[in-house]
Amino acid sequence: MKGLLRKICLEIRWPVLFFSLGLTAIMSILTWVLPTILGDIDKFFDAVPLFKPLIAALLGVNPDSQFSAEMTQAFLWVHPSVLATIWGHEVMYCTRIPAGEIDRGTVDFLLGLPVSRWKLYLVETFGWLVSGLIIICAGIFGHMCVAQKFVSEMQPTPGTTLMILCNLFSVYIAVGSFAFFISSMSDRRNRAIGITFSILLFSFLLNFLAQFWQPAKPWAKLSVLEYYRPATVIQSGDFPAIHVGILLGIGIVCWTVGGIILSRRSICTV
Amino acid sequence: MLPVMSVIEIDNLTKAYGSRRGIRNIGLSVKSGEIFGFLGPNGAGKSTTIRVLLGFLQASSGTAKILGHDCWTDSTVVRKQVGYVSGDVRLYPWLTLERALQFVGEVRKTDIRRHGMELAERFHLEPDLPVRKMSRGNRQKVAVVLALAHRPQLAILDEPTSGLDPLMQDALAVCMQEMANEGRTVFFSSHTLSEVESLCKQVAIIRDGTIVASEAIENLRKQAPRVVRITFDSIQSAEAVRWPDFVRLHSHHEKYSVLHMDGPAAELIEWSVKQPITDIDISPPSLEAVFRKFYSDTPTGVTA
Repeated sequence: MKGLLRKICLEIRWPVLFFSLGLTAIMSILTWVLPTILGDIDKFFDAVPLFKPLIAALLGVNPDSQFSAEMTQAFLWVHPSVLATIWGHEVMYCTRIPAGEIDRGTVDFLLGLPVSRWKLYLVETFGWLVSGLIIICAGIFGHMCVAQKFVSEMQPTPGTTLMILCNLFSVYIAVGSFAFFISSMSDRRNRAIGITFSILLFSFLLNFLAQFWQPAKPWAKLSVLEYYRPATVIQSGDFPAIHVGILLGIGIVCWTVGGIILSRRSICTV
Repeated sequence: MLPVMSVIEIDNLTKAYGSRRGIRNIGLSVKSGEIFGFLGPNGAGKSTTIRVLLGFLQASSGTAKILGHDCWTDSTVVRKQVGYVSGDVRLYPWLTLERALQFVGEVRKTDIRRHGMELAERFHLEPDLPVRKMSRGNRQKVAVVLALAHRPQLAILDEPTSGLDPLMQDALAVCMQEMANEGRTVFFSSHTLSEVESLCKQVAIIRDGTIVASEAIENLRKQAPRVVRITFDSIQSAEAVRWPDFVRLHSHHEKYSVLHMDGPAAELIEWSVKQPITDIDISPPSLEAVFRKFYSDTPTGVTA
């Protein structure tokens, strides 16, 4: 276990640092600029009629013509750059085993060691969860620092922040588990990343499509954003137990199936 | 010294890859303390067999056991006793030998650094040079050191000498011989017939996914023909000669004839004394001819 953890640390320390600093910067900047931009959002709504449904799709609630401080906070958590950074890290991480190892030809060396595939999978999972926590916490740190010092209306209550974090982390688990599942069937890392990102993008766009096209509405349930609604959490103050449950359910199923496939599949060279 | 027992037992093993050729109904037994050569042309199924042994591939049918453990269901237990060098060595670019010995030792839960560094010295490796800066030969040497550093009961080496210079090939041969002397087993695939001849007592030859020969190298040697070159005193003598039954004419040019002969040379010498011969050259039995016969569909160089 120690050796495998050391290997993961050596391999991911720089990407994790890079993504952590990136998310810190993104969330700091968004915390700084969003109140100003969203304060004048009514002008955008008037000028571009499509803009309002897009924001509504992102937030999951219909924004008023004037953005409240709560909505501004919520917008920070669903901003595409925030989600892209977190997902970028985890899709790259979760396709390391087995697709990445097979792709770079190191799988023979790794599997030549006396370690079961399930153990490898568990250690990788541990690294994925810890690295995700580090990156998300780095983002929160950036947000809190700027909010505390300069933009008091963007300062969330600890309870609300924790609930949104739980929701965001359950999205992280669902997406990462899906990437593990795709990777477990793949011999090529780029292909695994491509497939995961395509499905993720489709799921993301489905959420927007449902706002404009009635037949797509029932399919919106397939969108990951359907289960991640910080605006509702901030407004109601309730823990999104059902959404978190659904996301964790997806995560557990994908992760387990991925592990079973990895443990039973034949590993060929490419 | 361990009692002689089967370290590898393969019975009726088949691995099918759909339309691609895999291996079919392979049977092998490798005893402890042996250096076992596994030969075959490219794509014959050597690496597939090795990957089944290591539990990378699940067999379609049949069984493969190492030290009594099933290679698929008990692969983790199997790999504890095995050191493996793959045919196409790829290591992590950030790995140095020092780090690798620590990492592999931690995974194997045993300190392999001392023996690893001894091996590194024998193979002239720099312990702190990262893999990304190493030549192919040095990467091969690192893989060999990592495979042997924990003193495995069985070393499975897939073309281990490829990329090594002759001196390092000798160093590896010494390591393999030492393992065998200690009662440990080496199973290695190779294309280099001379190293197989000098190292192995047992060989198996695989072609098109099936074992075409599996026996002691001495038995193969008995099947190998000697090449005899005879020079007659004149072209007329060469043309008039009546060849005895125990030789086969391979080629003939003016005064010179090249023959293939099985068995001992005594009969030939007895026959040649009565012939108008000015020179005779009898080479030792050529295993290469036997291997070539097994490698190719049409035997070459074995019969005239």
